[in-house]
Amino acid sequence: MIGRRNGAGIPVGLLVLVLLPLILMPIAAVFVFAFRGGPGEFLKALRTEDAQFALRFSLLIAFLTAAINAVLGTWAAYVLAKHRFRGERPLAIAINLPVAIPTVVVGTSLLLLWGPIGLFGKLLAPLGLQPMFTPAGVLLAHLFVTFPYMLGAVKPLLDELEVTYEEAAYTLGAGRWQTFRYVILPALKGGLFSGTLLTFAHSLGEFGATVMVSGNLRLRTQTAPLYIFAQFEAGKVAQANAVAAVLAALSFVIFFFLLRYSGTTGKERT
Amino acid sequence: MRSPFRPRLEGGLVTAAGLALLLYAVWPWLPVPGRPARPRTVVFYGFSILGEALNEDVLPEFARGWRQRTGERVEFITSFAGSGTVTNQLTLGVPAQVALLSLELDAERLAAAGVVAAGSWRHLPHGGVVNRTPFVLVVRRGNPKGIHDFSDLARPGVRVVHPDPMTSGGANWALLAEYGAAARRFPGREEEAGFEALRGVWRHVVAQAASARAARTQFENGFGDVLVTYEQDVLRDAARGTLPGEIVYPPSTVLSEHTLVVVDRNVAPADRPLIGALVQYLWSETAQRLFVRRGFRSVDEGLNAANPAFGRIQDPFRVADFGGWDRVKKEIVDGIWKDRVMKEIGK
Amino acid sequence: MSIRLEQLTKSFGGQRVVKSTSLEVRDGEVFVLLGASGSGKSTILRLIAGLSAPDSGRIQLHGRDVTDLPPQERGIGFVFQNYSIFRHMSVAENIEFPLKIRKVAGPERTRRREQLLDLVGLGGLGNRYAHQLSGGQQQRVALARALVHEPSVLLLDEPFGALDVKIRGQLRRNLKEIQRQLGVTAILVTHDQEEAFELADRVGLMERGELLEVGEPEALYARPLTFFGATFLGAGTVLVGRARDGAAQLGALSLPIPPEVEHEEDARVRVLVRPEQVALSAEPPERGVRLLGRGTIVEQSFLGALRRLRVRLPAIPGTRQASPAVYGEESLLVDAVLPAGEDLSGPEVWVSLKGWHILAPPRPRILACDLPDAGSPAPFALLQALEGPLDARISLLSVTDDTDRVEALRASQTERAAAHGLPDAEPVVRRGEPVAEIAAEQVQSLYDFLVLKTPESGPSEVLGGILATLSTPLLAVQEAPASFARILICTAVGEPGKADVRVGGWLARRLGAEVTLLHVLLDGGEPAPWVKAHLDAGLATLRALEVTSRTALRPARTAVQGILDEAKEGDYDLIVLGRHAASRPAAGRSRRHDFTFEILSGSGKSLLIVPPDQ
Repeated sequence: MIGRRNGAGIPVGLLVLVLLPLILMPIAAVFVFAFRGGPGEFLKALRTEDAQFALRFSLLIAFLTAAINAVLGTWAAYVLAKHRFRGERPLAIAINLPVAIPTVVVGTSLLLLWGPIGLFGKLLAPLGLQPMFTPAGVLLAHLFVTFPYMLGAVKPLLDELEVTYEEAAYTLGAGRWQTFRYVILPALKGGLFSGTLLTFAHSLGEFGATVMVSGNLRLRTQTAPLYIFAQFEAGKVAQANAVAAVLAALSFVIFFFLLRYSGTTGKERT
Repeated sequence: MRSPFRPRLEGGLVTAAGLALLLYAVWPWLPVPGRPARPRTVVFYGFSILGEALNEDVLPEFARGWRQRTGERVEFITSFAGSGTVTNQLTLGVPAQVALLSLELDAERLAAAGVVAAGSWRHLPHGGVVNRTPFVLVVRRGNPKGIHDFSDLARPGVRVVHPDPMTSGGANWALLAEYGAAARRFPGREEEAGFEALRGVWRHVVAQAASARAARTQFENGFGDVLVTYEQDVLRDAARGTLPGEIVYPPSTVLSEHTLVVVDRNVAPADRPLIGALVQYLWSETAQRLFVRRGFRSVDEGLNAANPAFGRIQDPFRVADFGGWDRVKKEIVDGIWKDRVMKEIGK
Repeated sequence: MSIRLEQLTKSFGGQRVVKSTSLEVRDGEVFVLLGASGSGKSTILRLIAGLSAPDSGRIQLHGRDVTDLPPQERGIGFVFQNYSIFRHMSVAENIEFPLKIRKVAGPERTRRREQLLDLVGLGGLGNRYAHQLSGGQQQRVALARALVHEPSVLLLDEPFGALDVKIRGQLRRNLKEIQRQLGVTAILVTHDQEEAFELADRVGLMERGELLEVGEPEALYARPLTFFGATFLGAGTVLVGRARDGAAQLGALSLPIPPEVEHEEDARVRVLVRPEQVALSAEPPERGVRLLGRGTIVEQSFLGALRRLRVRLPAIPGTRQASPAVYGEESLLVDAVLPAGEDLSGPEVWVSLKGWHILAPPRPRILACDLPDAGSPAPFALLQALEGPLDARISLLSVTDDTDRVEALRASQTERAAAHGLPDAEPVVRRGEPVAEIAAEQVQSLYDFLVLKTPESGPSEVLGGILATLSTPLLAVQEAPASFARILICTAVGEPGKADVRVGGWLARRLGAEVTLLHVLLDGGEPAPWVKAHLDAGLATLRALEVTSRTALRPARTAVQGILDEAKEGDYDLIVLGRHAASRPAAGRSRRHDFTFEILSGSGKSLLIVPPDQ
């Protein structure tokens, strides 16, 4: 507490000075540009069929991605936390790889694997299945890219749970599923919540992998970020900014809840 | 809890907001009674500058006519990018049924990849060429650098914004325009004159964008003194006065020709009549007039008078004058620009 | 019987943590498993609960074999050391959890929950969460939760371990009361003997995976069977004397050995004296009192009602101290207590014994050196042959100077021992130089025998090193026979030692071997009368041990030659050599080794080298 007030002025001022052009001003610019033509223009830009589709499609994909990865990620975290086995570390690294490699690379590799000329794509083609350049392809890419977030949010909580937590439930008569449902899962609530939100937020903003696997098809696979990019490239800055502002606002809300709940769950746990 | 709300109330609100968002997202896909059946869809890929003309005029007009004639709704799913990007996407298997490319060379590449039958576009009207537009220069207002021709781009201190010939069809046309203008001025020593012209221009290229559209956006954002681009792309804004620059017509330039391909393997048998009608429609007077209104020059010269904004070009030429894209690609784009000019500049 | 364990065994990573343990716990009994950490007591609890599966053996609860049932179906309650209260549930929800799982109706659940909350004294705290409770309260929640579904057996794993000493006592009394009220059979695991004494109807004492002894607290305290029991439970002094004429001799003091305690004449006997059995007086006590000696008070500590004293006595011939541990001195330390008010006039006191307890002879412990790198791998076949007849506990010692190899060595040792039929052998790995580490291990754990295989290339430096510092019989093994049927005890020249005859005889009795007592006549002719007398004394000792024995007199030029000749002709499996005090001085060391080495390489037989008694 001592010295928190005295002498804080200069470093804090410096920090703000650095952050201002780096983070705060660009975000503000999005909103300023979005509303430059007045709220009427903003709404009009949002109301076009393409913009509506892009927003809805992005949200839908984000919801699906969050829901599926919430289950998959929790399961993976549970398996990794519970079992000790040879090759555990390499596996954990491999699972976390999607965060480390550029999303464009992820998109490219998905395309090369599942695309019509890819390894699996070739096998699927005779069946009339073609996941790339379809909403399913976008979903696949998003699942892949955001997989580690759920794991990262849940695994530390699982690692922290005493082993005896589960054993206690067994001795009290609970079966495996009951133990997971009533004892483990509630203990992970905070992690599940923040992991799902993180996944949702990342899916909403995903660009690199999506641009590769979506084919950028308007009204079919064009997500909001792709729409923004396409509009911007076409010189329609106002249209781009309208959707960008909506995305930014959504991210703010999500971020707000993330901070809020990660704060309170931490308190509950100690 | 620092919460200003009671936790339970807040939880309820958050859940409600989440559900509302979900509902909004899935709304168009909900089976609400009374909602019209899903329309037939056509996936149409095009190179970058076509976006507005197709999305706003040409394709909606077709849908209207088709609905009048058959009662069926048609929805167009479109994607616009640099012609090379479109070609790559088609090769990778995007489910496009029709694509309008900025140069025949990309159609050849599709044929080589087996996406379309070799030469199939030549059986279409006008050898597959839907419309044309000349390559022009856009300079800053008042033309402060005094640029009037491609040769002026070689002058010291001129900064050129150019699309990238690796991904942009337009850039290939621009190369041909720069080369051809010089070559036609010095008959007999075409190759040397062309080489020098290209070298002069490319020494001054400060930004290479992935598509003609992107190059224009860069120019508008303040890059460079001059932009090499399609007349069509800048015509409307120039007429409206919203172009941050003015158009300069070189005395001699190329007329780019835009080739249509039909990707037969992506056309379901039931859709053949629809696609057939669409293809014929693109050369109809209705469609051609719409293109002219959007700044494309029609393949039917007689219609071009309808747009007074078209500037006069003393000596327009076409790719056929240089032996077609096969030769141009091999001898000029690869042989001169890539192997000689870029290597020399690269040093 | 509430709980019945039959020959449970369990290993982790090749190490046996529970060794063939059998136990019966009666209905309504509180049974306390007492032992140091790592003794395997918690593992037994987990095996009963079904939280881990035994490698072999059966578990019965109320006559029902539950060995293969999952924990959910065993009808047990388990209180964990860390309580494992579910943090996202309130106290009430925690206690109701087992009922909810069993689909007990709401009102009944509430009734049971309130009942249990009252029982553990937490009435009204149902809405609290774990982080709002003290450690003691959490422990009581865990107890209530473990009991609410009316289990037939309650298992408690160090339930007071994480609590303040202050509240432990209170909680112990509560626990005992609740257990009585419900009549539930309980097994409690602890390392705290005070806790064990207070709670237990019976105590089971565990050490290194073995249930050493079982009994009521008072009996266990007063009459432990084992040295571990004597020293782990309560304070006390253990002195080692010698059995003679049915009494334990501690110097001049003779303490009768009760007939039920098995002992061998002239063998070592351990006497346990609890502090309260020691009488101290400033004046010399009257005759007829069992006087140990006169000593000096060296330590005092005040314990409230009592004062604990430690008295140092001068060395008593033929008596050694086993506990409390002393090092590097010959004097004895005896612990005593006095009522706090009682005063002694000075530091000098007379020490006499009011009571004592004779410990049963211990299972012999064998330390087998496992040094494959030095050409001396453990002779597994021989060890296996010795383990049963000797009822011996075998430790395998390997020594390495490479820190990284310790774990690998331990694992490979356990694996090899198991493969050779010695699954209970305990691996010991030490870091350093072999001779020094063997000596250190011996000093630390007081083995009865050392076993070392002689390398093919002949007696090694390690053997020489051990002989130089030897204080324990050493079995130098060559060409390892399956067992020893014929044993030659060499008195060589001069007086036959007592130790060699006794140790060799003891071995022969256990193994059912025949013994020949050899004397080599160096100067030919008739043996001197004293030789005959000594041989007769030796024979008498052997006969008392009920060993088939005879004497042999052999004239020879040198002692070594005589021994070698006899060994060859008699086809002996083992030669026992005494090592006489006279040959110990440094000057004689090399000569001594030459003697041993010569017999080793000359005979090709295994050798047992016995140092004389101290």
